[in-house]
Amino acid sequence: MFELIVFLVLMTLGYLVGQFAEKKHYKSITEREKKLKELPTVASRFPPPGKRHDQSLVMGNTVISIDYFKRFVATLRNLFGGRVTSYETLLDRARRESLLRMKEQAKAMGAEYVFNVKYETASISKGRNNTIGSVEVLAYGTALVKPRDAV
Amino acid sequence: MKFEQKEIPEGINVTQVHPLRELAVLLGGAVLIIAVVVYVLGLSAGFLARYIPFDMELELASSFVAEEEGGNRTIDFYLAQVNAQVIEAMALPEGMNITLHYTDDDTVNAFATLGGNIVVFRGLLEKLPNENSLAMLLAHEIAHVKHRDPIVSVSRGVTVGAIMSLVLGQSDLGILGNTGLYTMLHFNREMEREADREALEAVYKIYGHTRGADDLFRVLQAYHEELEGDDGFEFLQTHPLDRKRITAINSHVEQNHWSTEGEPVAIPPSFFAALKASGQHTEK
Repeated sequence: MFELIVFLVLMTLGYLVGQFAEKKHYKSITEREKKLKELPTVASRFPPPGKRHDQSLVMGNTVISIDYFKRFVATLRNLFGGRVTSYETLLDRARRESLLRMKEQAKAMGAEYVFNVKYETASISKGRNNTIGSVEVLAYGTALVKPRDAV
Repeated sequence: MKFEQKEIPEGINVTQVHPLRELAVLLGGAVLIIAVVVYVLGLSAGFLARYIPFDMELELASSFVAEEEGGNRTIDFYLAQVNAQVIEAMALPEGMNITLHYTDDDTVNAFATLGGNIVVFRGLLEKLPNENSLAMLLAHEIAHVKHRDPIVSVSRGVTVGAIMSLVLGQSDLGILGNTGLYTMLHFNREMEREADREALEAVYKIYGHTRGADDLFRVLQAYHEELEGDDGFEFLQTHPLDRKRITAINSHVEQNHWSTEGEPVAIPPSFFAALKASGQHTEK
């Protein structure tokens, strides 16, 4: 009985706090995405022709963790199979946040263009049972910054 | 080369399902499946366990039933006397021997376990108002042995426990194991009801009436109320609710047209005195 109460409290807390954090995060993500819309970021491995700019590595990194509610739903999914929808928003947020951080860095150094953008992910609690799963998403690319003397 | 940044539509990487809906579907499905599996396994384990010979059960029990300590002559003599009456009335199969253990403890309880061992606690004996209720108590526990309930429960527990740990393992779904436990309790309550019925018949055979048999449950009911104040939910408990048991045995008596009129047999005062002395002895 006691176990059940603890479980219910954790689930409710996980759900309410998790949902609140997610809404807030998405709001901030969409706002910042709009702000940084003008800075081109492409996956192409080559710089656009004709641009003679300085190149610089830029990166954005996010570590995101799962709440109790999402983890429980995902473990239940393991029994039945199918889309682990509770992880989808989490990873979506991590990817977009990383890219935003990278773009913010690029903008701060006055970049005009970022090419060769790539993602890397790593699971932090790999292979350990009963730990809150965290995932790292790293976005990196090459920023093109106009040399000062060229102005 | 021109770069055009179009606004990415929201939610393309996210399936639009309400998390609570997802939880309800998955949890509901899991609970249902577990309940069905445990029920079926419990049924089949119970069915098979009854074919385990009683000798084998005795052997199993001999490894962990503690040796009798000293004992009290007055108490043991009286208990054995009532016990013999009950055993005779219950017509136990050949080779099924009952071993009665008196335990000097305040616990208000009694139980039957593997190998025909029955344990009664001083705490419950002290509260019994007459011999008829004592006979009902012993008959109830002996009925468990007669129905092979202890070995059935153990077999069920082992089977279901093994399956649950296989399926749920060390995952976070341990909480779902509760579903299995509560499903198993269903079997327990069925056993109790059966044992009550059988015990009632024995009491009727001994005394020619069933007066005083339900006193046992009144004692338990009073004790449980004192302890918790409330009956709680039946589906969370091993035994049926006390008031339901009383109603059930009353209707069973009516169905069989057994007489409820009769004088309950008193328990000799020397027995209570011996219980008291035994209790004080341990307190020291």
